[in-house]
Amino acid sequence: MATTKLGFIIQRPGYKSENQKLALTHAIASQSVEIYLDDDDEVICDVAFTGDGVLNCIKDQKALENYDLSSTESHIKMGLLCDLNILVCKEDLEKFGLSKSDIVIDAEEFGADVEVKVVPFEEINKMMDDVNHLLFF
Amino acid sequence: MGKLTIGCFSSLVGSMTLDWAVKLSGAAIEKGHKVDLWVSGNATMLSIQDQRAFKDYSSLEKPLKELMAKGLNVTACEACAEARGYNKDNTMEGFKRFSMDWYLASTFNADRVLHIGGE
Amino acid sequence: MKLVTFVSDYKINVDTLDRLKPEKLGIVLVENGVYHATTKENGNPSSLLNHSADYYVLLNDLETRGLTADDVIDSKVKVIGFGDIVDLIFNDYDKTAWL
Repeated sequence: MATTKLGFIIQRPGYKSENQKLALTHAIASQSVEIYLDDDDEVICDVAFTGDGVLNCIKDQKALENYDLSSTESHIKMGLLCDLNILVCKEDLEKFGLSKSDIVIDAEEFGADVEVKVVPFEEINKMMDDVNHLLFF
Repeated sequence: MGKLTIGCFSSLVGSMTLDWAVKLSGAAIEKGHKVDLWVSGNATMLSIQDQRAFKDYSSLEKPLKELMAKGLNVTACEACAEARGYNKDNTMEGFKRFSMDWYLASTFNADRVLHIGGE
Repeated sequence: MKLVTFVSDYKINVDTLDRLKPEKLGIVLVENGVYHATTKENGNPSSLLNHSADYYVLLNDLETRGLTADDVIDSKVKVIGFGDIVDLIFNDYDKTAWL
């Protein structure tokens, strides 16, 4: 059994560019990657929001109501439903005057067991050390 | 020799980043490495066949076909392509189309991954 | 980790590079990132050159912009080609980042 770990680092706000949403959809695709791999091999994706990228996590996004498009918020929730490890940089939230109560934390309505973790950048650095490959968005 | 997986999300026309990624792919193949090139988002424009080559716009069909003949493995995100009206019938010969998990699978046994996704 | 980063813009809108703590850092200036190697603003070289890192600039992207190896203002920036980038990726670093 072998595992490859990928770290998705989202550093920019979304909507003007689709890449931040694509980061999440690619990470969520780790749920079906086994069709290409041998039994017991896996790809695990961790996602971290840093810098201006933490703005993607503000809750109550109404992209569907305004543009008939799924929101980044809904993709974060999907990520939680798929048990992705999703980290948000604490210092960057604070820089914008935001706290845990302003951002997407859980996806209880979808039945997700895991929650978004607000962590110091130091922990995101550790995650980047720990993974095999980095993908910056 | 190793395996390099390159992911690129930049548009073919309107950016030179795909030109850059294809150049790097060629250099890696010249050195005997295996290269997987994944294009997603706007970069799926690369997959369309018979794009007219003007000198004012990036046009990569010719170098891409030469590199594919040397073993370059190129795959487009199927959903990203379909969302832009790029379907199977207008896809360049030899260009594969798969869902996003293909890219993750390519990274599984890659020695190095270069992901060009910041925009 | 040993990280090679690719800087492709002259004005960078992310501060990630300032916050990374790799044991070894390489910075490859490509596309519009090459101006960091050649340009002074108000007499000052780019602050991007202040990192503790090995620096490289891609000759093809210099020449495309009307610049040459002689325009590189800091001798610590090594002028390289695509083949050299491949060697850096495979031989000198274990992870890459396109910022």
